[in-house]
Amino acid sequence: MAAGLCPGRALLSRRGGALWALLGTARGRAAGPETHFGFQNVSEAERREKIYQVFENVAEKYDVMNDSMSLGIHRVWKDILVHKMNPSPGTLLVDVAGGTGDIAFRFLNYVRSVRERQLQQKLRHHQNLSWQEISKSYQEEKSNPLGDSQVVVCDINKEMLKAGKQKAQHLGYSEGLSWVLGNAEELHFDDDKFDVYTIAFGIRNVTRIDLALQEAYRVLKPGGRFLCLEFSHVSNPLLSRLYDLYSFQVIPVLGEVIAGDWKSYQYLVESIRRFPPQEELKAMIEDAGFLKVDYQNLNSGIVAIHSGFKL
Amino acid sequence: MLRGCGRGAAAVLRGAAGSRGASGQERGPEPGRPLEPSLLRFLVCPLSKRPLRYEESTNELINEELGIAYPIIDGIPNMIPEAARTTRKRPPAEGSEQP
Repeated sequence: MAAGLCPGRALLSRRGGALWALLGTARGRAAGPETHFGFQNVSEAERREKIYQVFENVAEKYDVMNDSMSLGIHRVWKDILVHKMNPSPGTLLVDVAGGTGDIAFRFLNYVRSVRERQLQQKLRHHQNLSWQEISKSYQEEKSNPLGDSQVVVCDINKEMLKAGKQKAQHLGYSEGLSWVLGNAEELHFDDDKFDVYTIAFGIRNVTRIDLALQEAYRVLKPGGRFLCLEFSHVSNPLLSRLYDLYSFQVIPVLGEVIAGDWKSYQYLVESIRRFPPQEELKAMIEDAGFLKVDYQNLNSGIVAIHSGFKL
Repeated sequence: MLRGCGRGAAAVLRGAAGSRGASGQERGPEPGRPLEPSLLRFLVCPLSKRPLRYEESTNELINEELGIAYPIIDGIPNMIPEAARTTRKRPPAEGSEQP
């Protein structure tokens, strides 16, 4: 047991030694237990380090790679997730592992358009408004286009957050959007704070999924919703064959050609195969305390959206 | 009903595709950008889950109790305990130096 803790200490002490002497043991996660990195068996600490490197390597090319590997379909999957969430003005969202902002930007667009529509409807219903009332309503829309909605993007990887922040600047998103570096297994948010927790193509890379789910439950308000978009398992045997062929023969090659990184994309496809299938993930979400847990397969289960409520 | 939103998203995505070339500009504007106030209401120490105090002079989030400080880099709080520093010089007072 003590020996098992050592590699973790070594890893962590590189970053903040003194602190770790103090706090290392108090955290209920150590390097010891064996886990997997793609098809390799590694320690939990090694896995964290390796996954960090993967995303450090791919951060800059992340969007291009997603587009080329999925032929752009990942955008549709993310749109579906946000439509399923159907946030209203005022919704507070935490998007975990959301580094490059894909979910956050969609959320902001969605809320803004709902808000616009609501105000227009309000105006339409009151036919004989005075010009003061109309101008007040327009000002309201201008000064608070999100109706106090906010999204906090949390990612463990600095490079991914950097890429996301740059993208936000380019696209002109700033209102209602904040970025935090943090670990899904050990969130830095207070209890009962958010209406929705999303994790899109992130939970697969979390080493202790059980801890991440517990944390998701903790930070959600009662009545809050957990939504997870992740690769899953294809049940159709023919499609599954084709998908395997594509995954193992094409994706690493694309990774090499576009991002100059075969290994990271090899990891990607392996990690998808190691990730628990739909029903198993559903049970894990239920174990964390969520109720009304269900899932929706997209593209025959290549991807699934799991949903659960804190009630 | 959702068409308006979809169009917005499409515009965003088109924008994203166009902005790819700009990755040459690596650095953010200033390194010591302060914390967005709206974020502070959510944040706690990931270890103790207790509230943090924002220290403007050092641009850090401080957990008085455990004596650790989380840095804010480019306006992004780094809430990974491994990246925090210990602030043991000052005795952990009852956290009321300055709001």
